[in-house]
Amino acid sequence: MSACSQEARLLVWLAACAPADERARARIAQLCAQGIPRKELEKICLAVIETAQNRVYKGGIAEIEREGEEYLARLAAKGFFAVTLASADYPEALRAIPDPPIALFCAGRRELLGMRKFCIVGARLLPAWAQAAGKAIAGELSRTFAVVTGIAEGGDRAAVDGALPSGNLVCVLPCGPDVDYPAAHAALRREIAKRALLVSEYPLGMRAQKFSFHARNRILAGLSQGVLVLAAGEKSGTLITADRALAYGREVFALPHNAGAAQGVGCNALIKQGAYLCTGAQDIFDAFGMQYEGMPAPSLTPQEERMLAALRLAGEEHAAALAQRLGLPVWEAQAALASLELKGLAVRAGGNQYTAISRR
Amino acid sequence: MIAKIVCYALQGLEGVPVEVETDASKGIPGYEMVGLPDAAVKESKERVRSAIKNSGLLFPLGKITVNFAPADIRKEGAAFDLAVAVSLLKASEQLVGAHTEDTVFLGELALDGAVRPIAGLLPILISAKGHGYTRFIVPAGNAKEAAYLGGAEIYPVRSLAETVAFLLGSAQIAPVAPKKFVPHLHAGQGADLKYVKGQPVARRALEIAVAGGHNLLLVGPPGTGKTMLARCLPTVMPDLSFEEALEITKIHSVAGTLGEDGIVSDRPSRTPHHTATTVAMCGGGNRVVRPGEISLAHGGVLFLDELPEYKRSTLEALRQPLEDGKITVSRAGGTFTFPARFMLCASMNPCPCGNYGSADKVCTCSPAEIRRYRRKISGPLLDRIDLQVEVDNVPYAALASDERQESSAAVRERVNVARAIQNVRFEESGMRTNAEMGERELSSFCRLSAEGEDILRAAFERMKLSARARSRILKVARTIADLAASEDILPAHVYEAVSYRLGDSLE
Repeated sequence: MSACSQEARLLVWLAACAPADERARARIAQLCAQGIPRKELEKICLAVIETAQNRVYKGGIAEIEREGEEYLARLAAKGFFAVTLASADYPEALRAIPDPPIALFCAGRRELLGMRKFCIVGARLLPAWAQAAGKAIAGELSRTFAVVTGIAEGGDRAAVDGALPSGNLVCVLPCGPDVDYPAAHAALRREIAKRALLVSEYPLGMRAQKFSFHARNRILAGLSQGVLVLAAGEKSGTLITADRALAYGREVFALPHNAGAAQGVGCNALIKQGAYLCTGAQDIFDAFGMQYEGMPAPSLTPQEERMLAALRLAGEEHAAALAQRLGLPVWEAQAALASLELKGLAVRAGGNQYTAISRR
Repeated sequence: MIAKIVCYALQGLEGVPVEVETDASKGIPGYEMVGLPDAAVKESKERVRSAIKNSGLLFPLGKITVNFAPADIRKEGAAFDLAVAVSLLKASEQLVGAHTEDTVFLGELALDGAVRPIAGLLPILISAKGHGYTRFIVPAGNAKEAAYLGGAEIYPVRSLAETVAFLLGSAQIAPVAPKKFVPHLHAGQGADLKYVKGQPVARRALEIAVAGGHNLLLVGPPGTGKTMLARCLPTVMPDLSFEEALEITKIHSVAGTLGEDGIVSDRPSRTPHHTATTVAMCGGGNRVVRPGEISLAHGGVLFLDELPEYKRSTLEALRQPLEDGKITVSRAGGTFTFPARFMLCASMNPCPCGNYGSADKVCTCSPAEIRRYRRKISGPLLDRIDLQVEVDNVPYAALASDERQESSAAVRERVNVARAIQNVRFEESGMRTNAEMGERELSSFCRLSAEGEDILRAAFERMKLSARARSRILKVARTIADLAASEDILPAHVYEAVSYRLGDSLE
């Protein structure tokens, strides 16, 4: 950490002291874009930190630097590292937004910061098929992109499940990087910190607050070249991410939902406004003009082929009704459906209802 | 003079001989009972006094001492009344020349001298017969129950006067005629699968569960027929053998829940309410230990409706009996073991609001709420439930209109065939069903083809199945293969077994 520049120490301590000070953030970002005139930076840092800490630094900038150094040591002791606006590997896409975080507190694979990123988000409550589709798309995207998402239930979880096996996953937290939110995902957070990348602009120990979710969503969009919305109600928080992405000039994709389904109103509205309609990873690769060869098609028995065809035709259907349609005993239908589910072609939607998943 | 009469006390499910010794001698009038009698036995003093008087007999004057031997076991209940009365009469020389030796007297007395039926007669008779007694005087109200003993002279009596007349030879009583056991006395009444409309998936799961002795969890929104399905379970189970029926009857006789027939001919189905305490469930009591719900469900079905509503400690107490098929209850009065080999059928809503997975209603629960709700059931308990199936409320009017629903009897036929296969398989190991298989049996009876192994591996990776889910799936696949009369477990069987893995995807 001794290689850390003076700016980095100042910025880290500033980010840690005043995580919510948007004005300070904007001014620092402006300065950094101009190549950081040292005197200006020191002046702002001294003012902001003295206000935040509510005390006078008699030692001046040197004392602040020392505290910044101490904070970096604390971070390192807990296995975190800091990336500041002054760092060379600060993600360029994020630097380009109007109010980039002054510092990112991270754990895990630092090299992911430089990778192309794509964001997948969705409401916490989403239909089983959307969850399965999100997981499949995240899995395929993670071979080329680092998948950016949050760590909540539902849509975030689908993206995490899909991308974590490859490790190309960036999770952005609305709280300090060492805080478990939601509490049920404590083990998942540690797993991500080990195998992928955990990112937060907030200092150690800070709890998630109302404003921090909104602020986090701007990082999700800012890091990424595009955003896919799996499911969103009329006033879903995921729409904020999509909105930010539009404002930053990133691509927006949405899964189409049944007309009238409350969990999909937001997605359908996005498509109406001109978002890409996405039914599979192929759509995303096409939009970026990238070559993509799909996963090899799994081999199916004739009976499974018939079942899949019937399922695609029906949309969402009950196992017994499918059995009736194909003239099979219900247990054979169950077996065929379980096979399709294992091969990632169908998903159980609860109550013995099944849905086919798009492969394209 | 001292008179000795044999009676029996119940210790758990076993009868223990108790000698009632009465000494009537001259002296200051008094009436004492010794030999560790409890309150109900002490009260028999007054019942016996009135019964003797009101039967036109003489209550002896002088000093009377009644002793119950052996003195170290505590005597409970009113079953000693008849024996005390007879011994009093004998001690006061009112039964000269009567044949009272080698005879067991059982019965409670009313003040007018009538003999009332007692609880636990059959277990007493069976124990006493084992001890060499073959002559019994029993309440006429228990005659039906006694008829199944066979190989003994059993005389049903209505009153004390009748008993005395019979003992003195002035009246004849026809001994109870032995009855042959007929299973399913109530066949055709009550629940039957033919009345269950639709639910093909759940019906199939029911069949598999019974065929392999697997425990079953039904998950579904309220009002989808979970309870109705559970009621049908006993009707699909194989017929009771006489030995099984006797074992079950003993338990119900002790608990005093034996019906009119005197024997349990149908497999029992117990549905304790979710407010039931651990003691109500497992058995217990202050001094006399009574069997709990799980023992009353022995040989049949224990249905726990709304599983998450039960107290956690109560559910956890089920784990050991589920494993061992019996429960040992220890109390101040002694330690008793009751059989408790039952099939557990539980039902629960999929989420707190009940609408998760419903076709026509919207679930308003958050994923965290759903998980919290399902976590109320501990892993170790879920571990012992091999089959977890969703019961849904899709309207089947169109589906079922041209289809005749299969009756319980037809399903039972198939279950019997599958059970026969298992009997051959487990002939030497002392097991009865696939569900009881351990790791050793799994490796010898549930070997999979390479394709089958691939499926299981895929299931593990895709669905994040726990290690314990593996043996669960294998056991169920074995039963499915048995139902199909297939020697090997085919890929289709594994796939079907995987589709009943609901609980694992919930965790």
